[in-house]
Amino acid sequence: MSNLKVKSIARISLIRTLIFSALILLVGLQFDAYNQAQLAVVLILFIGVLSITLLTGISGQLSLGQGALMAVGGYSTALLMINYKLSLWVAIPLSIISSAIAGLLLGVAAARLRGPYLAGTTLVIALAIPTIANRFMSVFKGDEGLQVDVGYPPQWFSTFFGEPTYEQWQLYVALPFAAVALFFASNILLSRTGRMWRSIRDNESAASLAGVNFARQKIYVFIISSTFAGLSGALYGLRGLVGPSVYPVSLSLLLLTAAVLGGIRSIAGAFIGTVIVVFLPDWIELILGNFELSEQVSNYLPALISSLLLILTVVINPAGVAGVKLHKHK
Amino acid sequence: MNTFLAALSLGASRGATFALVALGLVIVWRGAGIVNFAQMGQAMFSTYIASTLITNGYSYWIAFFAALLSGAVLGALLDIFIMRPLSNKKQSELLSSESMRSAVPVIASLGILGALQALAGIIWAAEERGFPAPAKQEGFTVAGNVLPFTSFDVFVVSIVTVALILTTLFFTKTGIGLAMRATALNQEVAKLSGIRTNRTRTISWAISGAASSLAGLLITPTSNLSPNTLDLVLIVGFTAAVVGGLDSPAGAVLGGVILGMVISFVTFYDTPEDVFLAILAVLLLVLIIRPRGILGSKDARRV
Repeated sequence: MSNLKVKSIARISLIRTLIFSALILLVGLQFDAYNQAQLAVVLILFIGVLSITLLTGISGQLSLGQGALMAVGGYSTALLMINYKLSLWVAIPLSIISSAIAGLLLGVAAARLRGPYLAGTTLVIALAIPTIANRFMSVFKGDEGLQVDVGYPPQWFSTFFGEPTYEQWQLYVALPFAAVALFFASNILLSRTGRMWRSIRDNESAASLAGVNFARQKIYVFIISSTFAGLSGALYGLRGLVGPSVYPVSLSLLLLTAAVLGGIRSIAGAFIGTVIVVFLPDWIELILGNFELSEQVSNYLPALISSLLLILTVVINPAGVAGVKLHKHK
Repeated sequence: MNTFLAALSLGASRGATFALVALGLVIVWRGAGIVNFAQMGQAMFSTYIASTLITNGYSYWIAFFAALLSGAVLGALLDIFIMRPLSNKKQSELLSSESMRSAVPVIASLGILGALQALAGIIWAAEERGFPAPAKQEGFTVAGNVLPFTSFDVFVVSIVTVALILTTLFFTKTGIGLAMRATALNQEVAKLSGIRTNRTRTISWAISGAASSLAGLLITPTSNLSPNTLDLVLIVGFTAAVVGGLDSPAGAVLGGVILGMVISFVTFYDTPEDVFLAILAVLLLVLIIRPRGILGSKDARRV
């Protein structure tokens, strides 16, 4: 694996991406409207979970503040779309610049922090950043938030592919971004950069002896991971609203849960985990639909089960669902 | 002047509870090398138990000690059934690296937090409920002026002081306390000198659980009780512990008081909305100027 040339790495990643996109389209178009919207959420959060796969799984830096980075992406996109009337296809790539800058700042701070210190600090950041929305009311509109959505497909799209429903259009918007994210993540994991990041995770002293400037690499990790989170947040906001309530701390924890359940070191794991956390409430309802459950129970049951799954995964099978392949990635 | 006094008294009473929360975090950090993000979830759970007892007609003090006891038992159970198996898994692939050894327990504690909150939601419903205070929450009146200091504030400050003195005595004067300090200093050496490190770990989880349950009992009268009430308190407690030094009990108290004052003065002189930005600013300032905290020892950040 370590002798792959740059060209063949790109080819492997491209093939993976194409197969992934084809499968999503094939399966997604069979779904009903509700499940198509759910699948779009899976694609969106998958990008956010990949940001944790890169940051925590590959590089060993635990962040509980990915939700705040998602908010940065969401707000930048919404402000660009509302104030400058840009289309989402222009606004989202531009918003990546601001999430990269946020990642740079976080990385500079985080390069000095380890383990629980980093986790706690990022948790405080996740809580503090959304309050800025209330501080600068005129720009961010406080708790009310900014209203944006994916809008309608352009004319040429409808002429070629027929008029998509709103849910299908959500899926079509999310898919290209998820595919690009998958392509880059796959490239990073297979390449020299990925090996350097793993060396930071596994042994800092050995990594720096081998010539890895780990302070600089840590900052790169944060920048890249932050662009993934920002992209995910931008798309997440396009479901209708960008506001503090859309990016709560629990969103950061949901992404972490997905990453760990699926397998924190692999791309396949990131996808499996995202599918689990997004569809879990539906599956529970499907299984327990026949029982008369009070609202109180059914509201909290998904959170209880995913938390228990998280604990069980960490204690019994830390490698996650996709963990069988763990040794290959080592 | 009156605003200043009000800020000072709120700061003292909040600071005392934050000191308890920070102390709980420090005790588990010293005993097990883990920052327990589930701590205030445990506190919330035992406060609900107290609340249920009170609604069923038991006296405040029975409920009070039942909550402390259940906090201790829950802490011990979490260590025995989740954290201990986890620390014995060091051979596993995921835990083989330095950085993941400290990350995985944090993830586990977040799972525990989520599970406890969901469970509390299922058992006790989500709507907020009040929690009684054992002392009056109106200010003292001197010569017709209402002072910004209540009997409840006096109660909080004095009971926290008692708790802190008891903890200090426990750590310095008892055999188990000494064993815990030895384990914190060097687990391998402690093991070799015959200390049962597993047991001391579990005891530190139990003490931390009781301390944070006490904090829960003292905070909820002013805030109301719901599964998520105490989330923010954990953030403040964590910041307080880092400010004082994660491995220093005295530092936890100092950090708690500092944070209490900062929050109270920001609330009175600025706006409550800036509290989190202020907390973040304090945290980043300490991490940049003195990463080990005010009273932390030099190698506190080795993990």
